[in-house]
Amino acid sequence: MSIAVVFPILAIFVAAFAAPRLHQMLGDRLGKILALVPLAGFVYYATLIPEMAGGGAVKASIPWAPGLGISLSFFIDGLSLLFLLIISGIGTFIVWYAAGYLHGSKSLGKFYLYLLSFMAAMLGVVASDNLILLFIFWELTSITSFLLIGYYHEDPKSRTSALQAVLVTGAGGLAMLAGFILLGLGTGTYEISGLIALGAGVITGLPEFPVILGLILLGAFTKSAQFPFHFWLPNAMAAPAPVSAFLHSATMVKAGVFLLARLHPCLSDHALWTMIVAPVGAVTMLTGVFLGMRETDLKKILAYTTLSVLGTLTMLLGIGTEMAVKACMVYLLAHALYKAALFMTAGTVDHETGTREISELSGLRRVMPFTTIGAVLGALSMAGIPLMIGFVSKEYFYKALLDADGPAFLWEALGVGASMVMVALAAIAGLRPYFGALKKTPKHAHEGPWTMWIGPVVLGIVAVVTGLFPALVGDHLLTAAAAAVVGDPSYVVELKLWHGFNTALYLSMLTLLVGAGIYLAAGGWRRAMGSTYVTLTAIGPERAYFKIIDGVLAFAAWQTRVLQNGKLRNYVLTVGGFAVLLLLWLLPRNPFTLDMEAMVPVSLLGVTVCVLIMLSAVFACFAESRFSAILVLGVVGLGVAMLFFLFSAPDLAMTQILVETLTVVLFVLAFYKLPNLREFSSKAIRIRDAILSAIFGTVMAMLVLVAFHFESTNVPISAYMAENSQPLGHGRNVVNVILVDFRALDTLGEIIVLAIAAMGILAMLKLRPKGTAKPKS
Amino acid sequence: MKTLILNTTNRFIIALLLVFSVFLLLRGHNLPGGGFCGGLVAGAAFALQAVGFGVPSARKLLLVDCRTLIAAGLAVALASGLLPTFINLPFLTGVWDKTQIPVIGKLGTPIFFDVGVYIVVLGVVSLIVFVLADDPDDPDQKGVEPWN
Repeated sequence: MSIAVVFPILAIFVAAFAAPRLHQMLGDRLGKILALVPLAGFVYYATLIPEMAGGGAVKASIPWAPGLGISLSFFIDGLSLLFLLIISGIGTFIVWYAAGYLHGSKSLGKFYLYLLSFMAAMLGVVASDNLILLFIFWELTSITSFLLIGYYHEDPKSRTSALQAVLVTGAGGLAMLAGFILLGLGTGTYEISGLIALGAGVITGLPEFPVILGLILLGAFTKSAQFPFHFWLPNAMAAPAPVSAFLHSATMVKAGVFLLARLHPCLSDHALWTMIVAPVGAVTMLTGVFLGMRETDLKKILAYTTLSVLGTLTMLLGIGTEMAVKACMVYLLAHALYKAALFMTAGTVDHETGTREISELSGLRRVMPFTTIGAVLGALSMAGIPLMIGFVSKEYFYKALLDADGPAFLWEALGVGASMVMVALAAIAGLRPYFGALKKTPKHAHEGPWTMWIGPVVLGIVAVVTGLFPALVGDHLLTAAAAAVVGDPSYVVELKLWHGFNTALYLSMLTLLVGAGIYLAAGGWRRAMGSTYVTLTAIGPERAYFKIIDGVLAFAAWQTRVLQNGKLRNYVLTVGGFAVLLLLWLLPRNPFTLDMEAMVPVSLLGVTVCVLIMLSAVFACFAESRFSAILVLGVVGLGVAMLFFLFSAPDLAMTQILVETLTVVLFVLAFYKLPNLREFSSKAIRIRDAILSAIFGTVMAMLVLVAFHFESTNVPISAYMAENSQPLGHGRNVVNVILVDFRALDTLGEIIVLAIAAMGILAMLKLRPKGTAKPKS
Repeated sequence: MKTLILNTTNRFIIALLLVFSVFLLLRGHNLPGGGFCGGLVAGAAFALQAVGFGVPSARKLLLVDCRTLIAAGLAVALASGLLPTFINLPFLTGVWDKTQIPVIGKLGTPIFFDVGVYIVVLGVVSLIVFVLADDPDDPDQKGVEPWN
């Protein structure tokens, strides 16, 4: 039964791929129906809560490439379950929301294909037990998010942002893969559950641990948009609102946080962990609120606050005390609830009024009552007003910082400072557009369809209910999640709304007060700091990104100009020259002796054929016309075939003759398309080429001798092939048995290459865009 | 290029070559030959047809588009490799049927794999020959239509 945990993921994948076809059948009703798939997944995962709360875990494994330690293994414990519920739960509302937001869009089917694929991949990330499997799902989220951010692909800005997101997270993902492989080689297992079971000291004791940690953190930091990789996240706001609400608040960017939490029991028991993770998180937290204060675009403000929260979560995991982990889990849930609601309402406002500029929005509560409820509840939770889950999470956040080892006072000051600005930003993004006098907007403002406000309203209500009765989520879900991160199954999270009058409460109140002040001063701040922001952007890390991209493109252009200039003789020169260099470096390192006794005696016929081949080759170099050149090359080929015959290799000889024949035919056919033979090279270049050819030939001859040396000193594989051809391969023709049985995978690769080459030839010679002239022959 | 000698002999030679190519393919497992050789010989037959009677007639003789042929060949090879996975053997394991069949001998997945190779090679060779032999200036020949 345990494998059932994978069924929702599979079902969502199936729904994703059925979406384009279903869109043709169902039209705009598609989204409303598709949402039932993640909803079913949510309900199913919710039934697992009691089991996980008792410290249980579900494991399921299907072997995939057992020789490499890779298997399709899944592992669901409290932490995975928390994420599974967030992803499938919010995902359900997002699918509904997108139905309203993209109403009437022609490519809606494609959109759902991307969105649901993303959702399934994200569920896969949090459910994977095998690191390699996790990486595959991880990359799949990068790719699908690329497609989603670039959904408005006619817009160049959208394309740039999509590319930026995929390059930054993709590069981090590769680093992470390297880290995973080192981890797997060092410990002998790729299973996360196995790594956790190893105990803390084993992994941190590996000599290469700092490298492993660094590489894995690179993956987590790029994905979760930590400083200095934070710039892709605000740019990703070019995506449609449902995408921002789902990927860039509740799910994908949390994948990095998930990874940190997942591997927390294995990696955190080392000084480096806190030294790197906590400061990076803190810097990101501050960067987020600082840059957020500049923005006047609803979605951008929310994006920067998301950045800040991601920093907060990372910082808490970096601090890593039990209290910090507990705070991290509560904060994570609270954030997912309010931020998805706020992003969806921001999207609705944009959709129904035609603007996201906060200065143009006011008094919307009169025309958009339901959206207002969702947004206000979200904003109150975000600000940490008492009775909301956001308040509970902030209390724990403050407490965790006070309890932190090391510079607790510094952490506390930074955390409180960031939260103060967060209060102001919550008011700007979630309250201000809805209150005051109704302003005239580019589009006539009106309430969106139910699909668009149901999500924010429900999420807002959940934020209130869980705020009032935190034990609802604390006792089961969050206890299990925090226990998994701490690595102690007996760990219990007791969430309470009221903790009495203590430092955290006073700080909360102070935060609200100062936050209100910052809200009032926000306009003045933007005016005063405008030029500073411009200066900072000019030297920010995004500039480095563009520098690198430009550098790569310039390098690509340069090497294409030099190495791939369209002249065949240059290609031959490059390939031959490189092979010579490589072999000259390798050959002296493999000393060989020649055993003359073991060699086949030279026959007169053999010598004659060889001389013929050599003479023809020389003649080909000096041929005056193409036709004679081709003919003598044919002689070379047939001579080689003759040698194959002499050494009793009829299969090779036959194939060689056939290939030679066809080559001559093809050459003759190509004749008409080729210009007359001309001399392109100067004498000096010809001499250079002659010398290089001579060296190349000599080196190749030596290579053959080395191969012979190894064959005579080791047991040759050919003996095995010859012996087993009949009993195992059921064929007497060893060559053929090797081709179609023993080494069939190679042959499969070769015929695929052959097919691709044929397509390339077809494309080069035949397929031209309409209206372009044929190349002059 | 239309010559009487070529056109007359072609009628016999092409048929012979095609039969010979299948012969090579089938005997390949025990005697010199095999899918690659067979495919080349069959490709040569269609090259002769293209040179003697023009590319359109060779295309007609081939019955299917070269690209379809290549795809089909890859599919056959891949399917023969996937077959063993259904009885829990690794991809591309050779599975043999014990009964002897006249002419072919024993039947096994490697034979089908070889048939796939044969089809791919035939498709590739014909495609290259047709593309090169197509005269772009000849108004009768419109070249390849983009594949939909």
